[in-house]
Amino acid sequence: MSDIKIDTLDINILRALQGDARRPFQEIAAHCKVSTDTIKNRFNGMTKKGLIRGTTIVIDPKEVGQNRIVSIGIQVTNPFAEQILTLVKKIPGMLVVTRAVGRYDIEAVAILKDIEQISTIKNTIGDFQQVKNVDVEIWVDKPLLCPKNFEFEEVRP
Amino acid sequence: MNLDKIDTTILDMMKKDARTSLREIARVLRVSPDTVSNRVEKLIKQGIILSSTVVLDPSKIGYSFITRFGVNVKPAYATQVLEKIIKIPSVIIASKVIGNYDLVAISVVKNFQHLCTLRDTILEMPYVENVEQGMWINTMELCPHYFLI
Repeated sequence: MSDIKIDTLDINILRALQGDARRPFQEIAAHCKVSTDTIKNRFNGMTKKGLIRGTTIVIDPKEVGQNRIVSIGIQVTNPFAEQILTLVKKIPGMLVVTRAVGRYDIEAVAILKDIEQISTIKNTIGDFQQVKNVDVEIWVDKPLLCPKNFEFEEVRP
Repeated sequence: MNLDKIDTTILDMMKKDARTSLREIARVLRVSPDTVSNRVEKLIKQGIILSSTVVLDPSKIGYSFITRFGVNVKPAYATQVLEKIIKIPSVIIASKVIGNYDLVAISVVKNFQHLCTLRDTILEMPYVENVEQGMWINTMELCPHYFLI
């Protein structure tokens, strides 16, 4: 983990973009009382340093026919977690698949069409050898996404 | 909702880079920038595009891992607790769920001390009965489009 240095101006730029990534740099510049070029340079700088990975739009999955987000918790016989992880990653619809410490050895988040597909995937994972248990949490309502709240602190050398 | 090729191209391009200019999208689609602009407005109005945001690498600013909290609350109070949880500064996404838990929240975490504080904060909320956490190893992906397509 290598922290990069960010100052108040960087933080203000990030905050402005977290709410609306399409905000014109001129507008942010006016708000921060610096030039548009400064904003542009800071943005490119933070991208180059890897802090900014990109910008994206948030789409309501329901509107594009993907109705259900599920989180999946998998308990595995040791030491097969890594092997199962590779298999689970190959299942279509997986957004995040990761090793975990806690009740589960592997956790995943997937976005799926309907309950039938959820059931199919649960069975697929349950069928893998060395999988002891699969728990599924079905997300209901609109999930609240809050990258806006993501907290920053000035990182000093 | 019926989306045509213009809509899906707009969504695809803006998913990869929300700052793509409408002019650029228009060039790819061979339509006028006005058409693209109208479509984008429509997609926002219809609630298909919920918002846009900048995707950060949390490991660059002091966060070392992601934790998934599973929360059990007194029946009928899930919404109330959810609204409080989403206000915790490091929580990225939270939702009501059906399963072992009533709520799930995914949060970035600085260190073990921070994890304990987060856990206590949730536990101390009224109507919360139990909090369980799973710490994600080797995963520092924090891209909203992983969560919402």
